[in-house]
Amino acid sequence: MNPPGSSPTEILVTVLGGYLGAGKTTLVNHLLRRSDQPIAVIVNDFGSIAIDADLIDAHDGETITLENGCICCSMVDGFAAALDQVLAAPVRPARLVVEASGVGDPAEIAAYGHGPGLRLAGVVTVVDGVRVRKQLRDEYIGDTVAAQVVAADLIVANKADLVVDPGLVLDALAARSSAPILAATHAGVDPELVWDLPRVGKRTLTAAPASSRFRSWSITSDEPMDRAKTMELLAADAAVVRAKGVVRFVDAPEVRVIVHRVEDDVTVTEAGQWRGGASQLVFIATNS
Amino acid sequence: MTDKTMTEDAVTDIRESADGESGSGAATVVYPAKRVITMNPANPFAEAVAVRDGRVLAVGTVSEVRSWERPGEKFTIDTRFENKVLLPGFIEAHSHVMAGGMWEMPYVGFFDRRDPNGQVWTGCGKFEDVEQRLIEADREMTDRGDDPGEILLAWGLDPIYFEGDRVTRHHLDRVSDTRPIFVYHASGHLATVNTPMLERAQITAEATTPGVSLGPDGQPDGELQEPPAMNLAREAFGKFRSNLAAPGAMQNYAREARNAGHTLVVDLGTSQLIVPEQMERWQASTARDDFPCRAMVALSSMMGGPSNLEDLAAFGETLKDQETDKLRFGVVKLLLDGSIQGFTARISWPYYYDAPEGHPGNGQWLIPPDQFADIFGAFHRAGLTVHTHCNGDQATEVFVRAVEKVLAESPRPDHRHTVQHCQLTTKAQYKRMAALGMCANIFSNHIFYWGDQHRDITVGPERARGMDACATALREGVSFSIHSDAPITPLGHLHTAWCAVNRLTASGKVLGEEECISVKDALHAITLGAAWQLKLDHDMGSIESGKLADFAVLEEDPLEIDPVRLKDIAVWGTVLGGVPQPAGT
Repeated sequence: MNPPGSSPTEILVTVLGGYLGAGKTTLVNHLLRRSDQPIAVIVNDFGSIAIDADLIDAHDGETITLENGCICCSMVDGFAAALDQVLAAPVRPARLVVEASGVGDPAEIAAYGHGPGLRLAGVVTVVDGVRVRKQLRDEYIGDTVAAQVVAADLIVANKADLVVDPGLVLDALAARSSAPILAATHAGVDPELVWDLPRVGKRTLTAAPASSRFRSWSITSDEPMDRAKTMELLAADAAVVRAKGVVRFVDAPEVRVIVHRVEDDVTVTEAGQWRGGASQLVFIATNS
Repeated sequence: MTDKTMTEDAVTDIRESADGESGSGAATVVYPAKRVITMNPANPFAEAVAVRDGRVLAVGTVSEVRSWERPGEKFTIDTRFENKVLLPGFIEAHSHVMAGGMWEMPYVGFFDRRDPNGQVWTGCGKFEDVEQRLIEADREMTDRGDDPGEILLAWGLDPIYFEGDRVTRHHLDRVSDTRPIFVYHASGHLATVNTPMLERAQITAEATTPGVSLGPDGQPDGELQEPPAMNLAREAFGKFRSNLAAPGAMQNYAREARNAGHTLVVDLGTSQLIVPEQMERWQASTARDDFPCRAMVALSSMMGGPSNLEDLAAFGETLKDQETDKLRFGVVKLLLDGSIQGFTARISWPYYYDAPEGHPGNGQWLIPPDQFADIFGAFHRAGLTVHTHCNGDQATEVFVRAVEKVLAESPRPDHRHTVQHCQLTTKAQYKRMAALGMCANIFSNHIFYWGDQHRDITVGPERARGMDACATALREGVSFSIHSDAPITPLGHLHTAWCAVNRLTASGKVLGEEECISVKDALHAITLGAAWQLKLDHDMGSIESGKLADFAVLEEDPLEIDPVRLKDIAVWGTVLGGVPQPAGT
């Protein structure tokens, strides 16, 4: 599905940020595995990429041909050269995932997502739920991690199963960003929630506080959800500009349902078998 | 060195002597000089040096060196240097091969700069100078029959020093409103293009890429800020980048180095040696007889390589076996932070003095600090000398801590790991570096080129006075060299030494006189100091019996003149492995 206003020939670019060890590559693997669309991957530093072997078709020097026909390559020779490699692959990707380095500012990479034939479809920052509070206070990396959080349109708070104080983690992240926060284990976020995000994060390379134009929240449920109540939730707040979710309902717990709200239009699509995990919904609303 | 290359050098040497004044064809040449400054503390000054098989046979008085002549031998006396001063060939331990590639394009910078032909390009002090130079370049392109649509590329624009408006497409349209023009700024962060370039690249007011600057009329004004925006003019930016790696780049780099008295330049982390074509290009270039300098090429981890760090380190170990007389290996380059003038160096509290509005508060890491010890450790264990770019003191701290940690786990005597740039390294850090056996390569050219900005804007007066602290390194016992980081600043060790000695900024003010060093110490830094950190001091860095016959040939004696004139000493050229290499050839 293309976001409103995009041309079908444009490649949709999602930038993944996050400090060393947060789980960016785990998320890349998860997106490749779970998405039906052809996805190409550009990594900042080839040394850091660890694509799962079953997703790889061929490994040729510094380029990996993925099982989906697209490629994974590094941007050591610059973004333009990497993009050339991506476009030369046998399969033209619908989406391009660019993994920033562990100390990279994803806002900086996102600037490339506006080039000809490209459209930026969001910045996703993965944080290590166990370590992020300590990291944010660290003299050496605190500002680096904070910049990654500030740039995000969506935050994946990973390693949720190991976090003992989730409320404090949420507070630390929400103090810096109005982006929706999704708790995850092994970066297991449904791709539908990752793609095509409205812009919430900061894009200029400055320390200006994140936009306060938006507020956001998310709902996670391990149990199937009540259909009527969910529809009510989706429609309730007039200030919501965008909501999306991958959920299962009590009346059909084996069916994967994707729900969207764009301005006031709510759509509900059944999308095959439930794939396990929790139902998740994210909401982004204006702050006026 | 292999026997084969030694023989080749000797042959060249004989040919050179045969062309000389005596014409005897003898294999030993004696060069009497006004003075030989040997840098060998046991024998610091001499009258003459005798050269055989590319090496120094003897240095001393003329009669002392001639006393090596045996019955049946005939020494050639070559008097071409009798009014000149010989020093050990200068060693630039931190520069980049792009320094040569830049000269594929016209220079429009603010400061005078000498090209590989020895020609001085006078600085462009105002936009009209830039315009005039570009008009000439445009005319040259037309005269040699280039397509009218061929892009005119230029480099070095430094409008920070110009009075009046910013440089925009309207200025460049005065040069040509038909040929696309792309001018790369000295900072490396900006490019300015003309209207035909904007049209060719279809850059419009609708561009959503950050960094496409708009003028008062709401249209792009031609300034493209940072690489994502510069990439929009992809054809031009691509051509600019490929020029930097043009076949002539290596040759020009070596010629420019030779012109300034260098006999060894280190390309510190620009080349991807693991890519066979790049390795072959270095091998082919340096194998040419007319390649007028030795080159050491660092292994780089940031510019590609196998995904496995241990593989890259293992590859680095094998490089030593591929060394030739003029192509050396043995060091690896890592990068920890950005630049001070770009506010991207990692510095400690109280951070930047007067950072631009919206600055994030500190600089950028290029390697996660927690990962650095692992990366460093892989190369340390492979026996390589690790040279790490650390502009800010937080970066130095991460490097020094990694050395402390890894040395405790994997002891290795005499590693000579080197802090590169070392601009804000503190006295306490220098003490630890000394204790660990680390070296420093200090970016003293910054004092002149950005010293005023460092005092007034980036780090403030106190830290600026103490930056690039050669005297502290000396006092604390850290072996050090100094460098240009060419093409960031021009390649030329007399200028670099002048900066360390005088610490004068571009506005003529002394920045931190307590950190000034003597001319003698500066000469040590650019010869033996550099040779030591490259593990070549047994073979280079001083003029003494048995070492390579690599000399810098100067028109004046740096120890006799007013130190403030150090940078103005004319360089005749070099002697490389016994072969005279006049500048500008």
